Amino acid sequence: MNALLQHLRLSLRLHLRNKMALLYGYLFPLIFLVAFAVLYRHERVPLLRHMGELLTVAVLGGACFGLPTTLVSERERGVWRRYRLTPIPTWAVVASTAVARYLIVLSAGLLQLGLALAIGMTLPAHPFALLVAFTFVAFAFIGLGLVIAALADNVPAVQALGQCIFLPMLIIGGVAVQLGALPLWAQHVSAFFPGRYAVEALQACVNGAGFSGARFSLLALGLSGVAGCMAGAKLFRWDAQQRFSTRGGKAWLVPVFGAWIAVGLLAEWRGRIGIPVDREVAPVAQVRVTPVPSAGSVTPPAPVAAPVGPAVGIVLPPEAGPVAGRVLTPPPPDPLWTRVTKKEIDALDYNVPPDQGIVAPMAGPDEQADDFIKDQVDGVRNKLPSWPPGTDGDELRCIRNVLYVAAVPDAIQLPVERYLPRVVFEHLIDTYPREKLTKILTWIAMTPEEGMVIDDISDLGIEGAAGDPMVVRERAYLYAIKFVARLTGRVAE
Amino acid sequence: MPAKVVVRDLQKRYGGVDAVRGVSFEIQPGEIFGLLGPNGAGKTTTVECLIGLREPDSGYVEVCGLDARREPAEVKQRIGVALQSTSLQDQITPREALRVFGSFYRQRTDAETLLKRFALGEKADARFATLSGGQRQRLALALAFVNRPELVLLDEPTTGLDPQSRRELHHDIERMKHDGCTVLLTTHYLEEAERLCDRVAIINHGQIVATGTPRELMAQAGGAQSVRLVTLKALAKKRVAALPAVEDAVCNGPEATFRTTRPTEMLAALTSWLAADQNEIVDLQIRQASLEDVFIALTQGAEKR
Repeated sequence: MNALLQHLRLSLRLHLRNKMALLYGYLFPLIFLVAFAVLYRHERVPLLRHMGELLTVAVLGGACFGLPTTLVSERERGVWRRYRLTPIPTWAVVASTAVARYLIVLSAGLLQLGLALAIGMTLPAHPFALLVAFTFVAFAFIGLGLVIAALADNVPAVQALGQCIFLPMLIIGGVAVQLGALPLWAQHVSAFFPGRYAVEALQACVNGAGFSGARFSLLALGLSGVAGCMAGAKLFRWDAQQRFSTRGGKAWLVPVFGAWIAVGLLAEWRGRIGIPVDREVAPVAQVRVTPVPSAGSVTPPAPVAAPVGPAVGIVLPPEAGPVAGRVLTPPPPDPLWTRVTKKEIDALDYNVPPDQGIVAPMAGPDEQADDFIKDQVDGVRNKLPSWPPGTDGDELRCIRNVLYVAAVPDAIQLPVERYLPRVVFEHLIDTYPREKLTKILTWIAMTPEEGMVIDDISDLGIEGAAGDPMVVRERAYLYAIKFVARLTGRVAE
Repeated sequence: MPAKVVVRDLQKRYGGVDAVRGVSFEIQPGEIFGLLGPNGAGKTTTVECLIGLREPDSGYVEVCGLDARREPAEVKQRIGVALQSTSLQDQITPREALRVFGSFYRQRTDAETLLKRFALGEKADARFATLSGGQRQRLALALAFVNRPELVLLDEPTTGLDPQSRRELHHDIERMKHDGCTVLLTTHYLEEAERLCDRVAIINHGQIVATGTPRELMAQAGGAQSVRLVTLKALAKKRVAALPAVEDAVCNGPEATFRTTRPTEMLAALTSWLAADQNEIVDLQIRQASLEDVFIALTQGAEKR
C-alpha cells in the first residue's frame, strides 16, 4: 500500500513538473472556459448553463489525451519495463496511475469551477452530487483513456486516436455545441457517445434536479467506465515492442463500443433523444417556493415559483430581497408587478448588447425593412393586435408572449430579427399605458424564468422554431430591458 | 553452497523462430558470470526468462533457490536488475526514483546510502533528463541494488559509455563481487568479460557453445596463435585453409584471420606461396589467442566455415 501511495505521489509530482501536461491539463480547459464566457456573455448568470460542458472538456482532455500520452510515452521509454522488474504487480501501478489521473482532472475541474465562480457564476445547486457525477465522468473517460493507450503504439497515434474521439464528442456529441442547436440526426448520434451523458449528469447537478435528473446519465457513464477499464486492463501493454496489431485479446474492444451502442439504443428506446428535460425545467426546478410575509395577503392556489435571485442569477438589486421568493398568483386582485418600485426599475442591468449587434438587435424608429422581408414585417404588424397569445388572458402573460415575437426570430437569427422588435415595441406602447408597461416589463426582466415559452410564431407568418427555450427566454429578457430603457428615457428614440 | 542460478534446457520460440534452444548453465554464489554472444544470439531472451519478463516454453529455471516460473514475485524480491532497454521519466530525480523503487520491496537500502555509493550525491535532485549517460547507468545500477539483492543481473551495462565511465562502472561491478553479491553480466565487450568475469558462457544461435573461465576458454584454443594477414591481392580461402595447421580461417578479400598451432611451419608455407603468387604482405600479426579470438572462432568462424 505504501508502495502505491509513493507511486501516486510521484505521478502527481511528475505531472506538475511537465509543462506540456500542465498546458493540456489546465490551460486548455481554461481557454474553453474563457471562450464560453465570451460566447455566452449575455446570459444572466455567467457559465451556469455550461458548467457541464466545461467540466466534460476538462475530463476528456485529461483522461483521453493526458493519461494515454503519459502511459504510452512511459512505455516507449521503457519505464513500464522497469516497473515489471519489481515485485509490484503491473495492475497495481496502472491503478495508481489512474487514481493520480482522477486527482489531476479533479484539480482541473475545481480550477474551472473556481474561475467560473470568480466571474460571477452562482454555486452549483448540488455540490455533493456534482462530485459524484464528476467521479463517474472521470471513471468513464479514464477507462476510455486506458483503451486508447492499449490501441496506440506510439504517442502520435495517441494524438490521432484521441482526436477521433474528442472532436466528434465536442461537435456533434453535445459537449461543446449544445444539443438544442444540433439537427435531430446529430442528437441521435450523440446518444451513442458518452460525452452527452457526461454533460447531462454534470449539468443536472449544477443547475438541475441533482441525482434524480442524472440517473440515466450516471448509468450510461458507469457502463462505459466498467467496459473501458476492463478492456484497458486486459489489453494493457508494458512492452513497447509488443504492437497492438500482433497481440491477442482484441475481442476486448467489443464490450467497450458495445457499451456505447447499448446505452445509445437504451436512450432511443426510452425516448431520451430530444433535448433533455432538465435543460428546460432546471432553473424552475431548483427554485424554492417560499411564502413571503410581505405577500401574505395573497394566497397561492397553484404557486408558480419565483426564482431565488442568486440561484438563477437574475440581477436583482439588493433591496429587492423581499421580492425574491414571493409567490406569484393570478393577477386579480393584486398582481405582483404592481409592486414594482422605481428603485427596482433603476436597478435593472441596462448593460445589454448593442442594437446593431447579433444578440437582441433592434432597428431604429425610422429604419425601413428590406423589400424581401417587408411583407413579413407588415404581416406581423397587422396580425399582432389580434394574435390570441398576445390578447387573451392577463396583461403580464400577454406582454410576455408578445416579447417572444421579438425573441424567437433573434434566437433563430432570421433576417427579420432587427425589425420585429421595433414592431413589438410599437404595438406595446400603442396598447398599454407607459407606466403599467414599464412595471410589467421590469417584472418580466426580474422573473424571466416564469411562464411558458412560445418558441413557434408560425401563425404570425414567421416560420422556424428556436431549439433551445432558454435562449428564447434570455432574448425576451434582453428586449424587456431594452424596452424599459426606452420607456424611461435611458435610451433616446 | 547451492548454485544461485540453475538453468536447464531452456527453450523459447517467437513466431516460429527458436530464440533459445536448450540453454543450460549454473552460476555459483559470489561469482561474476558473463553471458557472451553476438546480437540476436539469445542472451537477452535467456535473461528475460530468468527475471520473469518472459515465460519460457519449457525448461527449468531456479533463481536463489526458488523455481522462477512458479514464484516470479518472490524471485523479484531477491534479485536486482539493470536492463539496457529500460529508462525512467525525464522529470524524475535519482533520489525520488530510489525512494519509490525502494518502496516496492520488503527490504531496502536507503536512498542516501545508494546515492553515495554510486557517486550520485551531487545529482541527487537533478532531473533524469539532465544526467549524462554514465550517471544514468550508475542510477540504473543503484536501482538494481535498492532491495539488497542476492543476485544482480546486468544487461550490457557499459554499452554506449565513454571509456572513463566504463572504467568507473567496472570498479562498481568488482565491488559487487567484493560485497558477496553474485552477478550475471551480459556484454559484447570481450575484454570487459576477460577482466571482470570469473566464468563465461558463449551463446550462439540460441545455444551455449562454450562455458568456462576466460583462461580455460583461451586454453581451449589449444595454445594456438591467432593470425591476422593482409595482402596486396585477394586471398583464396581454400589456399589459406590448406596451409599447415590452420584452423577457423575467415577470408574477406585481401584479409584473412585464422589460428595455427605451428606458426613457424605455417609462416614458411605462407611466404613461399605468396612469393610464387607474386602477392605482397601488407600487414601480418601473430599473437596469443584472446577471449575475443575464441569468441570469433566459436561464433562467426563457425558460421563461415
